[in-house]
Amino acid sequence: MKKIKNIFIKTQYDSDKQGHFNGLGGRYVPEMLIPALEELEKAYNQAKKDPQFSDDLMDLFNNYAGRPTPLYFAKNLTEKLKGAKIYIKNEGLNHTGAHKMNHSLGQALLAKRMGKKRLIAETGAGQHGLATATVAAKFGLKCTIFMGKVDYERQRPNVFWMEQLGAQVVPVLHGTQRLKDAVTATLQDWITNVDDSYYLLGSVLGPHPYPSMVRDFQTIVGLEVKNQLQEIYGIDKPDYIIACVGGGSNAIGIFNPFLDDAKIKLIGVEAGGKGIQKIGNHAARLQKNQKLGVVEGYKSYFIQDSDGQIQNTHSISAGLDYSGIGPQHGRLFQKDRVEYKYATDKEVIKAFKLLAKSEGIIPALESAHAVAYAIKLAPKLSKNKTVVINLSGRGDKDIFIVAEALKDKKWQDFLESKVKK
Amino acid sequence: MKNKILTQLEKIKNRNRLGIMTHVVVGYPSLKQCRELILKMAEVGVDFIELQIPFSDPMADGPTIMKANKKALDNGVKVKDAFALMKDLSSKLEIPLIFMGYFNTIFNYGVKNFCKDANKAGCSALIFPDIPLEEEENENFIKFAKQNDLIPIRVLSPASTKERLQKNAQIAEGFVYFVGRKGTTGAKSGLDKKLDQNLKNLRKYFKIPIAVGFGISDKSHLKSLKNKADIAVIGSAVLDIYNNTSKGKALKAVEKFLKKL
Ligand SMILES: Cc1ncc(COP(=O)(O)O)c(C=O)c1O
Repeated sequence: MKKIKNIFIKTQYDSDKQGHFNGLGGRYVPEMLIPALEELEKAYNQAKKDPQFSDDLMDLFNNYAGRPTPLYFAKNLTEKLKGAKIYIKNEGLNHTGAHKMNHSLGQALLAKRMGKKRLIAETGAGQHGLATATVAAKFGLKCTIFMGKVDYERQRPNVFWMEQLGAQVVPVLHGTQRLKDAVTATLQDWITNVDDSYYLLGSVLGPHPYPSMVRDFQTIVGLEVKNQLQEIYGIDKPDYIIACVGGGSNAIGIFNPFLDDAKIKLIGVEAGGKGIQKIGNHAARLQKNQKLGVVEGYKSYFIQDSDGQIQNTHSISAGLDYSGIGPQHGRLFQKDRVEYKYATDKEVIKAFKLLAKSEGIIPALESAHAVAYAIKLAPKLSKNKTVVINLSGRGDKDIFIVAEALKDKKWQDFLESKVKK
Repeated sequence: MKNKILTQLEKIKNRNRLGIMTHVVVGYPSLKQCRELILKMAEVGVDFIELQIPFSDPMADGPTIMKANKKALDNGVKVKDAFALMKDLSSKLEIPLIFMGYFNTIFNYGVKNFCKDANKAGCSALIFPDIPLEEEENENFIKFAKQNDLIPIRVLSPASTKERLQKNAQIAEGFVYFVGRKGTTGAKSGLDKKLDQNLKNLRKYFKIPIAVGFGISDKSHLKSLKNKADIAVIGSAVLDIYNNTSKGKALKAVEKFLKKL
């Protein structure tokens, strides 16, 4: 594949200098954090201009993380759905199993440059925490991961691995005990330890410069897709790109190089949970009664009540179980550049099974949201259309949740026998 | 009419003593008990009281106040309850009452309307730590506060750079709230070692009185602040005492604690 040299691209949807995506985003944080964010922004801008930084990052991408990840033509799935050709960008084959490695490597490299001694991070599914714990081990940095108690319990395999990598994993007991509370806890730790700690944020959210910086480190995904389609499949460009959207990092990463070409349809899939009618049952921020708010340092759409209190969310996938959405997605929604759809827990399990059985790929439950929507869309499209799915992660971490959702008797028996021992 | 904050600051200055600001979370442990707590604080003679409007994600608060926020929300407390309490007590008490909280509450209400209604309810100042100067252009928070005779208290920290101290000093009124140490709110046994030096530095930029908060919990802390700061903020410590005393005796315990100070 053609060598990718420059990962820092510009589009018409970038933020202004203060990190405003036409009013969204920004830097709404207590004074304690402003100097740290200014320091980070400065260091990041310098790193971007330094060819050595890009070289080091590409070296890590290719020789540590296993990039480029494959763009795979899903022939069986395509034939089954009898519509558009489906290609899968398999980010699950990244080291540690998800796209989270991309922005973790980029930020760890930056933290090292800034002379920081400790990485702190929030995590939902545990994939971002796992990637952070991994790079911390690799770069010889201390590491603390904050995880909502609910997620801590449902993504236990990742907790175990993070601990094996030397990280301290702290279950967060306040609020709804989910991803947003883990973000708050990490911000609070940062407020207390700003001098030596680097907050390695796990999605395109939080105060400026995080939404732009994390996007830039994820853009490698879209850049590879562009080259791979042309070089391997002789396709100039895709017609559709589909990605799941929690905070929005994997989605923006694959969308970014295609944003300025309005002919390419971009679709973000939110977590529909048990249905989007009732607050508390889903994490779909852009489907009904979208409401702007200022929380966790940025302005965007949040699921909140009439008083502006952030509300509980639900999704079968911990990584999408989040009440806010990255500010650039908010902007892309306002401009109608990206269409935001949703998939319910039920549809997700169905998609999970279909992909596993037809292609031999076990997707993360987050990524299965994108597959679920593709299953709806592809049959409606003609056979000469190209659909690319961003398969943001592999499903190993979800073994307990999937087994429970499928009510797998053999697994249940196995667990019981383990406990008895 | 003169803003009550300014009147109270003069009073402190004339008596040459350290002012005391305390903190409650509206609706914690209940609306009724919160009201009693405020009345007790005023009776004991504190100079300013912060009424925190509970929020689901109180980023700058430590465990004690976070739990109080959660409990208040679980009790079903609404923003309108905070306004009602403000209105009720501001007419009864001579000392200034201040709304403290997080910007999403104001943003959701509408900045202009929030400031108008807060003024109507008798609020004297606003302490909202997560709306920095840089976002003023988009939000007009300081503008609408000042238009409605509310003092937007600037909150600064040991991490603030010279440039930021200067910028904030230009628009600050009433008093400046200095966060005594890096971290979230919460009672601690000792004050930050660099506090004296930080306060001296702050004086270079601010001609208005300085309040020091975060981690102040006993008389020795107050002693060491005398002549270096103008107001001591006691937040979590009072709530801790309230929480750790058996029901019925809690108010008395708070009274005893504050009187000792
Ligand atoms: C595999 C996977 N996909 C997607 C997400 C959602 O995050 P984002 O929307 O930032 O890509 C997560 C988050 O944990 C994840 O682990």
